[in-house]
Amino acid sequence: MTIIEGMTSGFFQSISFSVFPYLFVGSLFGLIIGVIPGLSGHFAMAMAVTFLYTMEPTSGIAFILGAHATVAQGGGLTAILFSTPGTGQNAATLLDGPPMRDKGEAGIAVGAAMASCFLGATFGAIVLALLIPVLREVVLFFGPPEVFVLAFLALTFVAVLGKEDMTRSLIAALLGLLLAMIGVDNVTNTHRFTMGSERLADGLQLVPVILGLFAVAEMIDLWVRGGSLAKGVPQALSAKDTQMQIFKGIGLAFRHWWLVMRCSAIGTGMGLIPGLGSAPASFVAYGHAKQSSPDKESFGTGNVKGVIGPEAANDAVEGGALASTLAFGIPGSSSMAILLSGLFILGLETGPQMMNQNVDIVFVMIFTIIIGNLIGTIVGMFLVNPLSRATSIRASVMVPVLISVIATGAFAGERAIFDIGVAVVFGILGYAMKVLNYSRAALLIGFVLGFAVEKNLYLALLLDGPFFIAQPIAAGLALVTVVFLAWNVWTIYRDRKRVIPND
Amino acid sequence: MRRTFLKTAAAGAAMFAAIGLGTAASGQDAAEFYKDNVIKWIVPYDPGGGYDEYSRIVAPYLEKYTGARVDIANMPGSGGMKGAVEIFNSPSDGLTVGIINGSAMVTNQLAEIEGANYKVGDYNYLGRIVADQRVMVASKASGIMTYDDLVANGSPEIVGATGLGGSTYVDAVITGDALEIDQKVVHGFDRSGDIRTAMLRGDVHAMWGSLGSALKGIESGDHTLILHGEKNPTGILEGVPSIYDIAMTMDDGERRVKILESWEALSAVGRPVAAPPGVPEDRLAFLRDAFQKAMNDPEFVAQAKEAKRGAQLCVWRRHGRDRQDGDRA
Repeated sequence: MTIIEGMTSGFFQSISFSVFPYLFVGSLFGLIIGVIPGLSGHFAMAMAVTFLYTMEPTSGIAFILGAHATVAQGGGLTAILFSTPGTGQNAATLLDGPPMRDKGEAGIAVGAAMASCFLGATFGAIVLALLIPVLREVVLFFGPPEVFVLAFLALTFVAVLGKEDMTRSLIAALLGLLLAMIGVDNVTNTHRFTMGSERLADGLQLVPVILGLFAVAEMIDLWVRGGSLAKGVPQALSAKDTQMQIFKGIGLAFRHWWLVMRCSAIGTGMGLIPGLGSAPASFVAYGHAKQSSPDKESFGTGNVKGVIGPEAANDAVEGGALASTLAFGIPGSSSMAILLSGLFILGLETGPQMMNQNVDIVFVMIFTIIIGNLIGTIVGMFLVNPLSRATSIRASVMVPVLISVIATGAFAGERAIFDIGVAVVFGILGYAMKVLNYSRAALLIGFVLGFAVEKNLYLALLLDGPFFIAQPIAAGLALVTVVFLAWNVWTIYRDRKRVIPND
Repeated sequence: MRRTFLKTAAAGAAMFAAIGLGTAASGQDAAEFYKDNVIKWIVPYDPGGGYDEYSRIVAPYLEKYTGARVDIANMPGSGGMKGAVEIFNSPSDGLTVGIINGSAMVTNQLAEIEGANYKVGDYNYLGRIVADQRVMVASKASGIMTYDDLVANGSPEIVGATGLGGSTYVDAVITGDALEIDQKVVHGFDRSGDIRTAMLRGDVHAMWGSLGSALKGIESGDHTLILHGEKNPTGILEGVPSIYDIAMTMDDGERRVKILESWEALSAVGRPVAAPPGVPEDRLAFLRDAFQKAMNDPEFVAQAKEAKRGAQLCVWRRHGRDRQDGDRA
């Protein structure tokens, strides 16, 4: 089967009567899971796999992949409207989404986020399709030394992330790295910072940490401050105004098409690299959007580009992550591993065999991602209205409701009461950081990348010795990192000089 | 050291040989208890691996015979110990079970590895999946096509492994030691899939693993089968050198074979499905009965066969081992 034949066959299968209903239900399911804080794509897929046993292969694929594809979209909605990331990937959206809501532009933010998600996912899926002939070579490009340097490069983006100053961002990022060390070390089996606790030996889970840092901290803030979630808006927007805003937001995403493309490329690239995950991708995209923008100062105060960037990246990741999974049948992330076990239940072989014999199946996946996100965007638009009304409900009603939702989300991942405690502790930490102007995003990115940095450093040292950094690709990436950091330091220095005379 | 190892290995093997089935009669109360209840099934590895795939295939059949919903929870970490500890410490109401890496859990407990906070002998076992056939594969990129190549090429081979206590690690270290293979074991990979990627890149030359997981790579031509741990190889293993044949050609061969035999006895422990200590007898009997029925369900057997993991992997063996090597050692 040629690629063209596979493509046409894949397309018609995706929209056929036997597949499309599953795709629709899957996408809807994913969107709802995404909206609920704490439940991630990982979770949506694990749930969806349970239904696969009686399905036809193509319907099954459309169902589980559809459920996975729309999760980040749903999560963006929650992030913007309730300052609570629906999934880990949406943490970067918190930097500019909620400030837009406070300005009464919730609809614009949501519209832009939805459209960027769709465009990003489409970009990632197209790249995946284009890469099919050379997929194996591309995926094998990254070994431990390269991933280590790349993780480090991503880490340097904390410097430009927040509106906070650089020293504080670095302190927060290093604290994040330290927090990632908690638990039994994967390499030496040594207990680190566990203080004798059996629970801490498992390490801190990502979901309760994110929920604590952002959502719980926001609830504390809201409780202390009173009023309603949407600060600057005395009255809820009318349905008509919201609708108008959404269309305006969608228009903005298309108007910033070049930014969408670049951030999607960042997302797809980081998805291709095994083990980096999607949360860092959206932060790096945010950093890039801010860096490349002439109006840097307005980031963090509700700049629509700060929503477009991360949302485009976090959906573009899927195409990249799928690539390494399909090329070798080796999963790049835990969600992809669940997809693999789903394919396995459906009786499909991945790896080179699938590339040669079942190209149409690969295209069913590609079209599932695109169509699934389109469904997510359209359905999401109808969700905005009722949800955005809730943002004007006063704090004394809203906080208890949201807190119970957050607690449930923290509990759900590992079904551990302990994780609710983690969310509370990080909520207090997050609130303190917010008040003292430390970047919570920097802490999170340090925490997320800590695992990748440490594991790959260890493997690179064992495999290539202390001079692994001198290998051509690793050295090239290290150079980029240094240049990037130097340039940042220089711009900060320059801006400071420029500001001082005006004082 | 070796002496202690043999002794303890024997103890471990004997422990598992003793895993029997309780009476098949299950109380009506137990059946009622499980009806519409939720059983949490812990998989101590990431999704996508052999343990996970196996669990996901068997879950619906266990649901069929218990009447309960079976929820799979992946709990990776410390080479499978995190999940094993989690099962061990779960409430003993019979609603938590899990699959564990039997052989690695025995070695870890004996070696008193940090994190081995469980007692293999105290779990309540529901049954087990037939032991894996352990094989060593080399990557095409390494240029190693046979075991002789591996010995002859003069430089140490890099053998990839997961966590300190994982079976990829234990296998590599014990066989490497017994056969004096010139190797460097690099551990710290998250999962066996990561090692396979590293082999494709050429970072790692070889790895140990179960035949079931290795088959895909062998069929696609990425990996070459160079060594196995079977005494009577069948099928694809025929014609590939066995660790025993090689050990016998070396001096002090008998002693080497003994070490390898205890290693094999440990591998034979396989993948037990366990519940925590202290589960009420009637519920345990009910679970065991349901598990056995699930494993013998014709639909399940057909599906396992189709899934290419090999039906033999999923065959339920009632009385375990037919050898007494462990006792003699």
